[in-house]
Amino acid sequence: MPDDENSYLAGRYNNDKMTERGGVAETSSTAEPVVEGDDLVREYSRGGGGFFDRSATPTVTALRGVSVAVEPGEVVGIAGPSGSGKSTLLHLLAGLDVPTAGRLTLDGDDVAALSGRQRARLRLRTVGIVFQRFHLLDALSARANAALPLVELGHSKRDRRQRAESLLAAVGLDDRVTHRPGRLSGGEQQRVAIARALATDPSLVVADEPTGELDSETGARVLDLLVDVADDRAVVLASHDQQALDVCDRVLRLRDGALDGGP
Amino acid sequence: MVGRRLRSLVGLAIQRVAGRFQTAPQRVLLSVLGVGLAVGLMVAVTGVSLGLASQSVVESDDVDYWIVPEQSNAESIAVSTGGLQLGDVHQTSAAIASDDRVDYATPVLLELVPVRDRVTGDRTYVLAVGVVPSPDTTVLGLPAGELTPGDPYYANGSYDGRWTGEAVLNDAAATVTNASQGDQLALAATNESRSFAVANVSAGGARTAGGTVPVMLVHLSELQSLTGGESGDAADQLLVSTNDRSVRSALAGQYPRTTVVTRSGLSAQQVSTSNLPLAIAVAALVAAVVVGVLFVTTLMGLEVSADRRQLGTLAAIGLSTRSRSVLIASETVVVSLAGGVVGIGVGLLGIVGANALAATAVGVDAVAVFDLSLVGYALCVALGIGLVGAVYPVLLSRRTDVLEVLSG
Repeated sequence: MPDDENSYLAGRYNNDKMTERGGVAETSSTAEPVVEGDDLVREYSRGGGGFFDRSATPTVTALRGVSVAVEPGEVVGIAGPSGSGKSTLLHLLAGLDVPTAGRLTLDGDDVAALSGRQRARLRLRTVGIVFQRFHLLDALSARANAALPLVELGHSKRDRRQRAESLLAAVGLDDRVTHRPGRLSGGEQQRVAIARALATDPSLVVADEPTGELDSETGARVLDLLVDVADDRAVVLASHDQQALDVCDRVLRLRDGALDGGP
Repeated sequence: MVGRRLRSLVGLAIQRVAGRFQTAPQRVLLSVLGVGLAVGLMVAVTGVSLGLASQSVVESDDVDYWIVPEQSNAESIAVSTGGLQLGDVHQTSAAIASDDRVDYATPVLLELVPVRDRVTGDRTYVLAVGVVPSPDTTVLGLPAGELTPGDPYYANGSYDGRWTGEAVLNDAAATVTNASQGDQLALAATNESRSFAVANVSAGGARTAGGTVPVMLVHLSELQSLTGGESGDAADQLLVSTNDRSVRSALAGQYPRTTVVTRSGLSAQQVSTSNLPLAIAVAALVAAVVVGVLFVTTLMGLEVSADRRQLGTLAAIGLSTRSRSVLIASETVVVSLAGGVVGIGVGLLGIVGANALAATAVGVDAVAVFDLSLVGYALCVALGIGLVGAVYPVLLSRRTDVLEVLSG
């Protein structure tokens, strides 16, 4: 068990690669990227015509040759207007989706080569996800929500409780462990979601518009928390919110599915 | 680890169902009530069929075994009077009684007999029970010892011995005939002038699904002669009193195609020899399973549809398809079992209500029986409903598209 609550916010990567935050990142080139995408393309079929329609199924290209690598300790922002491919890139980096073309490695594994079950296992161990709308399970307490990923890992009930309570304490919710989401404010729910994202001690945390449902003051606190998380792990957050992008070491700007200014 | 994960998922399912009772109880409550009503109906109807089946043989406080024809119809005593019969019963019962391990043995012949109401002269029917009486024995709760011991009229099969004309009535018979101790009870058959002297009126008697039957206990041979049963020396059952379990195997060999039924509670044999109660119980089971499964499947399917976002979240954070399937199946089973518990209560109320209604409407004490085994039965059926009902919600949950859910 870690010595203090904050140690739960630190991941398994102990190499201190980041030297400075805000603005342009200064990263050490010796670190292996946690996630690395090379020339990523993602196309979606738009649905074909009728049964007798023999024409080719129309497709929409959401990402066009995007390359990205995120190292431990980095906080990387993804920005761009709606429809620019932010969520698509985030889903790829989180292992929720596979690229149509290009190569994506997550924690050293080629994501496209994995089965759905293997990808789920990889996400469980490697990725913590924070959603815009929190997506907590309404019927469960904050503690049970935070401990959810540990159920899949087969942790004992005692372990799960201890781990969840420590994480909730680390995000400042030690007095809310038995509260259901309906009795928590938006900011508190997002902090529970962050605790859940950290439950398996992942090397990558992805956050999709983490402050989208929060007022600016609460959003700032959540962002601070995410930056704290990044001490030893990679954090990727997609956002429209300049306040969120300001805390990032570097920002990838997407336009029409491609990096603004080229790869 | 797999076992622990399974336990954790089941625990999570219980937490989610319990949580839903507080956050969004409508669908879960409907599911529970749907299964509860189906199982409750099944318990109540099965209770009625148990009530019918449990009255399939003549009971006596001292009797440990009954030998009954294998295909005897056992809906009730009254109905069973027309069933298959045993032959040479005097000789056989005497042979059984000669065994040191046997306290006494008597054939039992059941016949509906018309008698005259002593006050109005109207014809009424009583169930005549022909036995070979011996001291200190009771049949159907009536003291057979009040009759002359043995069966004098039988006279070693010649049926020309002394006609005693003795009868012991139960209260119900005394009421319907307006007879009391010492009275003569005339038979109402047109070609029969004989009568019976009431030797005793007792509080005992046969309680069947139809209530307390008016019973008249008489000598077997006298009843046989009245009903034509002397040819073949026929009777419906043989009652054997013993404290020795080893007698059973000997009894089983007395007649071909007969069954030895034990006294202990509601034996499986009693149920199996009863076609109507069994048919009723099976019909109730099928109806309960169909209705319960439809309820659970529909409502849990709706629950899964409404829960797609949360299922998508579980998939996103790494719960495998198998784990999510286990979760949904467990939730369905938990809801179904909760319905089973409700159903036990509903069924018990149904049985109490049915008995109260029967008592009020037709003066019958108990048409339905609540046996503790019904509790286990109801829970097993609820479990089955849950497992079968889980198939569709599980399939539905497996079709959840994570990206569609999270992007929506």
